[in-house]
Amino acid sequence: MQEDELRRAIDLALKLGASYAEARYHRLASRSIITRYGDVISYGERLSEGIGVRVLVDGALGFSATNSLSWEHVREAVEEAVKLARTHARLMKRCIEFADARLGRAKYEALCAKPFDLMSLEDKAGLLIDVWKSVRDAVRECKVMTLMCSFDESIEEKTVINSDGAYVESRVPRLSVSYNFVLLHPQKGTIQRRFSYGASGGLELLSEWRVAEEASEEAARLERALVEGVEPPRQPVDVVVGSEVVGLVVHESCGHPSEADRILGREAAQAGMSFIKPGMLGTRIGSEHATVIDDPTIPRSYGFYLYDDEGVPARPRYLYREGIINEHLHNRWTASVFGVESNAAARAMDYNSEPIIRMANTYLKPGDYSFEELIEDVELGVYIRSYMEWNIDDVRWGQRYVGLEAYMIERGELGKPVRNPVLEVTTGGFYSRIDAVGRELRFYPGTCGKGEPAQGVPVWFGGPDVRLRKVTLGVVAR
Amino acid sequence: MREVEVSELAARMVREAVNRGFDEAAARVVELRSVMVKLANSEVSVVQRWSNLSISLYLAKEGRILTTTLSSSNIDRVGELVERCLSAASQLKPSPLYAPLPEPAPVEPLSGLVDKAVVENMADPAPLAEDLVGEALEAGAEKVAGTLTLSCFRKGLATSRGVELSESSTGVEGYLRAFIGESSGQWAVGGRRLDKTALRLVARTAADLALRARGEPRRLEPGTYDLVLSPMVVGNLMDLVGMMSSALAVMMGFSIFARVKPGSKVASERFTLLDEPRNPELLGSTAFDDEGMPTRNKPIIEEGVLKTLLHNTKTASKMGAASTGNAGWVRPHPWTLRIPAGDASLDEMISEVRRGLLITNNWYTRLQNYVEGIFSTIARDATIYIEYGELKHPVARVRIADKLPTLLSNIELIGRELYDISWWEVKPPVRAPYILVRSIHVSRPFD
Repeated sequence: MQEDELRRAIDLALKLGASYAEARYHRLASRSIITRYGDVISYGERLSEGIGVRVLVDGALGFSATNSLSWEHVREAVEEAVKLARTHARLMKRCIEFADARLGRAKYEALCAKPFDLMSLEDKAGLLIDVWKSVRDAVRECKVMTLMCSFDESIEEKTVINSDGAYVESRVPRLSVSYNFVLLHPQKGTIQRRFSYGASGGLELLSEWRVAEEASEEAARLERALVEGVEPPRQPVDVVVGSEVVGLVVHESCGHPSEADRILGREAAQAGMSFIKPGMLGTRIGSEHATVIDDPTIPRSYGFYLYDDEGVPARPRYLYREGIINEHLHNRWTASVFGVESNAAARAMDYNSEPIIRMANTYLKPGDYSFEELIEDVELGVYIRSYMEWNIDDVRWGQRYVGLEAYMIERGELGKPVRNPVLEVTTGGFYSRIDAVGRELRFYPGTCGKGEPAQGVPVWFGGPDVRLRKVTLGVVAR
Repeated sequence: MREVEVSELAARMVREAVNRGFDEAAARVVELRSVMVKLANSEVSVVQRWSNLSISLYLAKEGRILTTTLSSSNIDRVGELVERCLSAASQLKPSPLYAPLPEPAPVEPLSGLVDKAVVENMADPAPLAEDLVGEALEAGAEKVAGTLTLSCFRKGLATSRGVELSESSTGVEGYLRAFIGESSGQWAVGGRRLDKTALRLVARTAADLALRARGEPRRLEPGTYDLVLSPMVVGNLMDLVGMMSSALAVMMGFSIFARVKPGSKVASERFTLLDEPRNPELLGSTAFDDEGMPTRNKPIIEEGVLKTLLHNTKTASKMGAASTGNAGWVRPHPWTLRIPAGDASLDEMISEVRRGLLITNNWYTRLQNYVEGIFSTIARDATIYIEYGELKHPVARVRIADKLPTLLSNIELIGRELYDISWWEVKPPVRAPYILVRSIHVSRPFD
């Protein structure tokens, strides 16, 4: 039924004068449990379902969405999209065009070994309550001032059809477990941690995550950081940046600036622009160890997809390759402007959202160092394992990450905890200082924000631990 | 759908939920029609239009709290969601947050929430967008980016206590970033009415800021500076304070107010922050909250003293307070914020600064620790060094990196002009002045 409605919508748009039309049925069903300490605070069910229509008319782009599946409302959505695009075409200086692309005709589902319904809500809530018990029991000198957890499961289903021949049906289940806790010490103040697990798949992920055990171990380490933490050294030192931080760094300072719509200024008033300008492919940005890949096709990934929302088949994108700006993230519009093929980066959050260029799973390519090898010749340095605060300027050049769990490195060994070392560095400064890369690749989930209205889409970011030489660390205001 | 129909639909949803076995129910039905013109490089990157119905329900059974939201016009789906919630209720333990829905209270409707001109212009907002771009270019901008959004809402609310309310409103949000070479300026406005003069002022102000910030940006040494913050920056930071004033944020560890009680001094005595839902000029204004309680204007911080957290009946019951009319069935939240005007002009503030910065826009505010308020945010667009009371030269890539309690305590001057700010980084909207803050840490990245 949906396919018929979508085809009818496209036919109508073409009849009304669109040179391109695309219709997407998009359904998101999600459930969540929120706990505080050992209690369930609330349970939530959400369902969004509707059709998003995008058209090109006289070189202008129109998007219209409705959450009514009746033909009357879908027709109105198509008519409005065409009409609005047409009336705004006079404000265009250069017509929007889509590059030719090999489009998919496919149906796929993400792996899910154990569907969500195979576990009772009581047991799901119990898993969160176990996090509370394990954190409570892990700390000695601190009080757990607050602890909240959430359990979120969702299923995203889409059918994308366009006038250039794409037909893609997909189904992706996702699971996420998150916690936030604050430890309070009577003299030392507080330390706070937020962390999430997330991936596509089913309940089988829970056995891999060991949430309560790892939260417990982390709480004990953070208590030590709060109680024993020393100020970071002020002179330039070697810094081993942990995989969690590396993942965020490559997301923020490689993935985002590589978005071709950002490079062209389409997000200038919102998420900003890019230090990468047209014509900068081939420019050196870092050392030969800096290879960053964005790959939507990684099985089990949070940002998993096989075809984007324009119907283009996905593949790994080598954004920085051995320190060189190698490739941007494209949809069919930016591909047309840059004279390349789309590499399938168009994603929409839900039926209500236009597809725009997004990352999927961005990571730094692993090297061959063990952690011990990364630190063994560091005379004086700091290892930053995790972070809380971060941000980056709107051209993605000046970035800041504030360490949460961090340790001194002294004569090749980990020493005392360090309180909140600040890595505030330019993008070029970060990538050019990488001189060794760990072998263990780990991923972390996130919800990446972009667009207007803002769209949050699931992504993974990851990497191994890396070593930077001669970094000046900052401190937070006390 | 007419206004009365949304409240009737809400009432029907409540009846059905109770008939299926819930002790209590509340339903909020929102019909939204909206059109947005998105601009980049002085042309239209996309025109977007939405027509949606959403139905949200609060459900309670023997102390369990459940919520569900359906963003679909297929209202038959509500039955499926309610059944799923009923099944969930049987598997979960009662929530310590539970408190009964409140008895109906008289709600004085707000007038002036609808402007027909907004509705009329939704059919073709192109002339408004053209005007916005033209005004900025005429004022000296080389190119602009931004959005213009026109919206029309109908909201219906019903509860199993007998509340049945409805409200219609319109909204306009416009923001523009103007570029001159590498220099840029950004400004924004939001309101219930279509005010073409205010939109043109957004364009002119953005262009004017870009003009003021021309020149090669210089490096700024990290350190402590006095800061003159524009209403754009004040809006962003006060949204954070507003979010932290939610009693649930306090309970969940996301607030600087987690370790202070109402009545404590938390800011400079010159500073007051109000939640002002009953001001119909402001986007976000509304006569009633999601529990059907009447909203009221109230100080969150008054002359530096924390006056109240924001409550629904659940957090109020838990904390021994009264609802402030800010439900959120689970999370209380501010509706729309205002900072009362002071008596300083912008020039007077700048003249008071020996060594500091004028920061006209910011983004990406993030926290290391919500309870301590350790945060940083990035200055964006026109950021100008001030020396001995004079604007000197632009600086780039600096951050405000300090503690929120320090920033609140060090507010020294409040501007006499107020601006209605609403954009990507300021939601809910804030009516804000310029402010002068003393001795705040500023950082920059090393190369």
